Amino acid sequence: MCAALVNGASNGDGVVLPICKAKESGAAVTSETYEYEQAQAKQRKQSESEEKQDAGGLRHVDSFKPLIPSVSMTSQLAQAVCVRCRGGFTPVEQMVNSNGEIYHENCFVCAQCFQKFPEGLFYEFEGVKYCEHDFHMLFAPCCGKCEEFIVGRVIKAMNNSWHPECFTCQICSAALADVGFVKNAGRSLCRPCHNREKALGLGKYVCNKCHTIIEEEPLRFKGDPYHPFHFNCDNCGKELTSDARELRGELFCLPCHDKQGIPICGACRRPIEERVVSAMGKHWHVEHFVCAQCEKPFLGQKHYERNGHAYCEMHYNQLFGDVCYHCNEVIDGDVVSALNKSWCVRHFQCTCCNTKLTLKNKFVEYDMKPVCRKCYEKFPLELKKRLKKAAESERRQ
Amino acid sequence: MMSKLKRIVDESREHKTKEIDLSDRGIQNINEVPGLMMLEHLTHLTMSHNKLAAVPPSIGELVNLQLLNLFNNIIEELPTSLSGMQKLKILNLGMNRLSHLPRGFGSFPSLEMLDLSYNNLSEQSLPANFFFVNTIRTLYLSDNDFETFPSDISKLKELQVLSFRDNDLISLPKEIGELRKLKELHIQGNRLTVLPPELGNIELTGTKSVFKADRNPWVHPIQEQFALGKTHVFDYIRSDTYKYLYGRHVNADPTPPPKSTDKAKKICKKPLHSKK
Repeated sequence: MCAALVNGASNGDGVVLPICKAKESGAAVTSETYEYEQAQAKQRKQSESEEKQDAGGLRHVDSFKPLIPSVSMTSQLAQAVCVRCRGGFTPVEQMVNSNGEIYHENCFVCAQCFQKFPEGLFYEFEGVKYCEHDFHMLFAPCCGKCEEFIVGRVIKAMNNSWHPECFTCQICSAALADVGFVKNAGRSLCRPCHNREKALGLGKYVCNKCHTIIEEEPLRFKGDPYHPFHFNCDNCGKELTSDARELRGELFCLPCHDKQGIPICGACRRPIEERVVSAMGKHWHVEHFVCAQCEKPFLGQKHYERNGHAYCEMHYNQLFGDVCYHCNEVIDGDVVSALNKSWCVRHFQCTCCNTKLTLKNKFVEYDMKPVCRKCYEKFPLELKKRLKKAAESERRQ
Repeated sequence: MMSKLKRIVDESREHKTKEIDLSDRGIQNINEVPGLMMLEHLTHLTMSHNKLAAVPPSIGELVNLQLLNLFNNIIEELPTSLSGMQKLKILNLGMNRLSHLPRGFGSFPSLEMLDLSYNNLSEQSLPANFFFVNTIRTLYLSDNDFETFPSDISKLKELQVLSFRDNDLISLPKEIGELRKLKELHIQGNRLTVLPPELGNIELTGTKSVFKADRNPWVHPIQEQFALGKTHVFDYIRSDTYKYLYGRHVNADPTPPPKSTDKAKKICKKPLHSKK
């Protein structure tokens, strides 16, 4: 999987440039290593490194010593020319020998900035020498995240280069350099995040155990979805299905669960493990005991029952109207019903003199209000006549 | 008589009784009941079947009053202080001689039930702010002289009972259809020929509802539905056929039917001396 190509090392110190290619199924991670193994290289012997010399590689010298021409070499050196300027050397001039190439001291400079190599370090690329700074500027990859140069291992992915620690899952920030990644809608994601995203897109869940999509109904356990078949009933040991139930942190198949004596909510038919509301001969989840009309939970507030349904005060009144005509409050206790209205017993009175009435008293209907006989007798004769006539005409209808 | 009234007041002051019944005692002036206006703790005051011709402005000092019943007196004038009574919920002014209401009458902060039946009121009698009483649940205006009623009725969002029995109404405002809580509507004995289709927005045919509408000169199609029953009337006025007919009827602007003479003998219409 990983092929290292040593491109070159020279002069006691070297630059090793192995190119790493890694491919994982489904995910393509290309990682190139641009390593600078200085410490190791320093220990190498001159002869060794000379053997490895390669013209097309990168070279590095950490020091260069001016060659002091010896007597025996004088004639040879007299004909030597500088690799860079092709000029000869005067006898007293200092020469720089780099892997057998001879330079004037002033010609042995960075091809980009024409400055001497700081501490003698240079990088060679395609036969041209650069100082470390310019080499990075020209050739070193830039990290797609932190925008710094990358020295050492380079991760090539998503059309960009990255520091291994900078190439992370865009959801959970896990390092992806060694585990591979999956492209998801232009994002690089780790496999679990990708599965989750994909499941979400499909309206499905990802199993929290095997991290694959749950095609069927998931089993919820401690709030997370799972494939039911990862679990067995804590009581009978049977492999579970999605209708298994969680109870006190354990999982049971439905038949075993129902044997545990847990109250079942009258609304959702599911067990109640937290607060139980007991009302109307049933048990309810607090949030499932709601007004039959507005479906808002009572949450401990007063409720009113009628025909097997519970209602909030407002809707009970709206629907059944047992609000006292006189005080406009819900009638607490016995209700006096007359004239299509309701009254608190103590509020049922003659509208004309406010004398208390009971249904045993005779009263007269006056615009659907109760009037005691005594008051009615005091009505003007003309009104009594008209009311009588009106009542007769109504009866005819 | 005076001493008897005084004893009632004294007893209430001593025992802090909150309700006083002074009905049918022939009282002509509230000042005949000394100390009554000092009973600040009073919540209910009933003075029906007396001969009160006016209500003194000092009534406003009974700041805790929740119920004031002045039914069957001969009141022509009301003090403006009345509508400043903060806790007044029930006010019965039925069977008096009111032909107008005082300025600012609509500013009652908690009035729920108002009975103005059997007076001489008409649409001209209502002060500008009458419809500000948006706490009102029941409004009785039977046996008065309304020919129309302002569309501002829709501001009385809490209204459950509206009674116009034996007035001279020639039309109902269509805004009546916005009174979502209305459960009782009495419009019998008027001069109505059509109903606004908007009335179909409210449910007045249930067992807890009252809809009385006879003794009106209804147009023939409505009269036909009344013969079948109230639910038929409501189904009919909700129909597109009716909406079309109603639109045509309103555009034609027909002359309203004449007033009936039934109420001409109302005692509150007669000069006072003839009552005796």
